[in-house]
Amino acid sequence: MRRADTKNEPAVYRRVVLKNASPYHYMKICLVLEDESTRLSAVDLKQFIITGLNSLYGEVGAALTFDLLKYDEDSLTALLRVYSRGLVKLWSSLTLLGSYQNQTCAFRVLQVSPFLLALTGNSRELQLD
Amino acid sequence: MFGDLERTPRTLLVCDRSSFLDEKNRLSSQVEQLHFNYKVSMLLPECSSAPSHLEAVLNSFNSFYLIRKLPIHELLDKHFLETSVHQGLVSGLSYRTRIDEDNCVALMPNGHLSLSLDKDSFELLGVEGKLSKFNQRTNSRYVVSVDLTDSSLAPGGRGYQRLVTGLRSRLQLKTDFLLSHHPGGGASLQALLSRCDWSEHRPEVRSHALTDLFCPLLTSDLQSCDPHHLLEWLGAVDADVSCENSSSSFLSSLVCPEPKTTMSRALSVSVCGLLSPQDVHRLIQQIRCYLDQPRLESWASLTVHGFVDSPVSWGGDEHGVLRGGENFYSLLMFHDHTYHLHLGTGAHDTCPP
Repeated sequence: MRRADTKNEPAVYRRVVLKNASPYHYMKICLVLEDESTRLSAVDLKQFIITGLNSLYGEVGAALTFDLLKYDEDSLTALLRVYSRGLVKLWSSLTLLGSYQNQTCAFRVLQVSPFLLALTGNSRELQLD
Repeated sequence: MFGDLERTPRTLLVCDRSSFLDEKNRLSSQVEQLHFNYKVSMLLPECSSAPSHLEAVLNSFNSFYLIRKLPIHELLDKHFLETSVHQGLVSGLSYRTRIDEDNCVALMPNGHLSLSLDKDSFELLGVEGKLSKFNQRTNSRYVVSVDLTDSSLAPGGRGYQRLVTGLRSRLQLKTDFLLSHHPGGGASLQALLSRCDWSEHRPEVRSHALTDLFCPLLTSDLQSCDPHHLLEWLGAVDADVSCENSSSSFLSSLVCPEPKTTMSRALSVSVCGLLSPQDVHRLIQQIRCYLDQPRLESWASLTVHGFVDSPVSWGGDEHGVLRGGENFYSLLMFHDHTYHLHLGTGAHDTCPP
């Protein structure tokens, strides 16, 4: 049996196109409160979002797992990760969450993407002045 | 009942695997086609400070101009067309205009001018255009795309007059504009700049040293790392998100993709501004030289983000924002000259090249 040729083979070109294959979606959100000096911890924020899911979708909806990847307490901005099939539920709960501990509040969704990498390069943040 | 709630807009991720040594590799053309780049970020493992040749390339990125309230008809000025646009020396993009709300303008190096307009502005302008792919149901956004090098738009001709009159008198479109020129093309812009309120800017370079982080085992055959998990890890490093979460953590369960290894240190460098594909190309060549030298880690990663609000993406195809305006690519290079290129884009954008 002849041995396979051991010469270096030319590099293989391969192209794969993945459509709608991202398992997660990532959201960059900001919480705006009536009393701007209120501070929440990361755990408080996550619990607050879970109560929002509960009020809109019930116990089963509140079981939707999402991750609080990063949280900045001073600006109340957070990075969330959720399964793609749960994006609409999470986003709609954030939209309809209107009050936190008896003060009005609103979630601003700054950016949504199926790629976390895309959240780090948002050209809308370019400040040249 | 919840079927519709589980749908998300279409996204595309193209994963190319090839080698720089392959003559038919299309990387140069893929890099060239994304004209308007906002941010380039580089991740160098086992490195605490940027090598001098890489730093030199980063500091030599072309500067760009910000023109405030540029009347867009100035881009059709006869002298500007002859000295800059027809020579392929300039490109530019409107600044602080949101493509889903405002009117946006892009001037590509090949002389194509693309205007993304809302319905009222399009009707005022009175020039032929197409319905945008991004607002078809509401008919509220139109794209006007003209080739300024075409003979039908030669100065003095009917098509040219109609467009100039539309931009000057009927629509009176004025936006802040970012303008960039090829090396050697600066002199031709002086006439235009002298009539405007402008400032020159250099791309902002920031570097960030990281210590003790988990990293997926990256080898050139890349059998083990799924592209989405790899891009998630790169995003986590860039965004300073912790990948060390236990499975019982309440807050987050994000972990580094397996199989993983640890890196004692890494360097993340980013450049922001209006960056040209030629500068990106030079940086890629320098990173290849860096990898050629024998070292501990055998890979380096480069991510390039396009502008979210650019009316055009790869190759002049229409771009928009449905929920996210991502158009970026991530290049993972290995020291054996192979690379993995991941190009990501969002809903309605055409497939990256």
